[in-house]
Amino acid sequence: MPATRMACPSCDLLFNLDTLQEGQSASCTRCHAFLTTRNANAFANVASFATTALVMLAVACTFPFLEFNRAGFENATTLPQTIVQLWVNNMPGLAALTAAFILVIPAMVMLLLLVLNLALMQNNYRTWVKPLANWVFHLISWSMAEVFFVGVLVSLVKIAKMAEVTIGISFWAYAAFCILFVMAISQLDRFQSWQKIEHLT
Amino acid sequence: MPNSTALEENLAACHTCLKLVSVDTGQCPRCGSTIHSRSPNSLQRTLALLITATLLYIPANTLPIMYTDQLGRTSESTILGGVVLLLKLGSYPIAAVIFIASVMVPLGKLLAMYYLCFTLQWGNPGSQRQRTQLYRLTELVGKWSMVDVFVVAILVALVNLTGIIVFRPGAAALAFAGVVITTMIAAEGFDQRLIWDHRRTVQP
Repeated sequence: MPATRMACPSCDLLFNLDTLQEGQSASCTRCHAFLTTRNANAFANVASFATTALVMLAVACTFPFLEFNRAGFENATTLPQTIVQLWVNNMPGLAALTAAFILVIPAMVMLLLLVLNLALMQNNYRTWVKPLANWVFHLISWSMAEVFFVGVLVSLVKIAKMAEVTIGISFWAYAAFCILFVMAISQLDRFQSWQKIEHLT
Repeated sequence: MPNSTALEENLAACHTCLKLVSVDTGQCPRCGSTIHSRSPNSLQRTLALLITATLLYIPANTLPIMYTDQLGRTSESTILGGVVLLLKLGSYPIAAVIFIASVMVPLGKLLAMYYLCFTLQWGNPGSQRQRTQLYRLTELVGKWSMVDVFVVAILVALVNLTGIIVFRPGAAALAFAGVVITTMIAAEGFDQRLIWDHRRTVQP
């Protein structure tokens, strides 16, 4: 069996990973970049975090996100309305970008990771596994759910002096989604995922 | 014995699935991506995107990012104007968040990426490890500049009481989103392995 070798993605130095034991992780000796980690439960962990994240996102999209109250006048907003409101204000480009970064891409990443990791867990190879893996690793860096959440916190402070703001269920659901998203990604390992895909083919 | 790089052994790592193959392989046998030892024209592409981002940075800071219609009066605010307003109101932590995310991070990221590109053009001087860390930092903080754009999106959706107070988005929000996206693509397209090429004898 040929040696398991990997080039550091950051500085191209070669490493032999044959001695890497279960539960250990490897990083580059020259530039300290993270290389890979071996975790037998990783696929199951990603799949379960992704499932929970998707449930939370569904909740976050359905219920009121924030309520604004000033002098007896009220305005409740949901997450999708944030995007619709940009659209009606003649900013379709900004609406599309926001929709992509805070809803569509995060949801797609979680959904694709769920499907991919379920397939890898059950050791069955399907022809769609490769293009799916290809897509999902490119999409991850374009998810901005956590950035949006910080934006929400900043907005809350900005308007707290102006009026009364009530936090809705969706706010907490989206916060949970952000945490679960990060947890799913932290269990994901590009090198190990592709090794497994190759093993299955 | 020190390890050698993939390039020195005539190997190339697939940029999608990290598989090691011979450099002259056309397509990755594992995932089908085109194999390159180093991203082709990485520096030129990064520089072109950096110039685009620099140009977009001008309207992003001079045009209004948000309009406020309050009791018949309309006022507009720019990114820096918003920071100044927050300082006047005494919200120092929020002013700091917005200032760091919207002014320091995008400007610092542009300067850092220009620096990385030019040091490679000028024969790769300076500490390789420090420049790698600088690159990792720019990659990490890149998307956080979108905070201000998202703040505008939330305020516009939430503060919408016709006749009393209405927030409307300004053109700078789109220009600013453009700055963030182009610098993110620029950082992604930059091949950081170039920093470590040709200088193996020098200690980092």
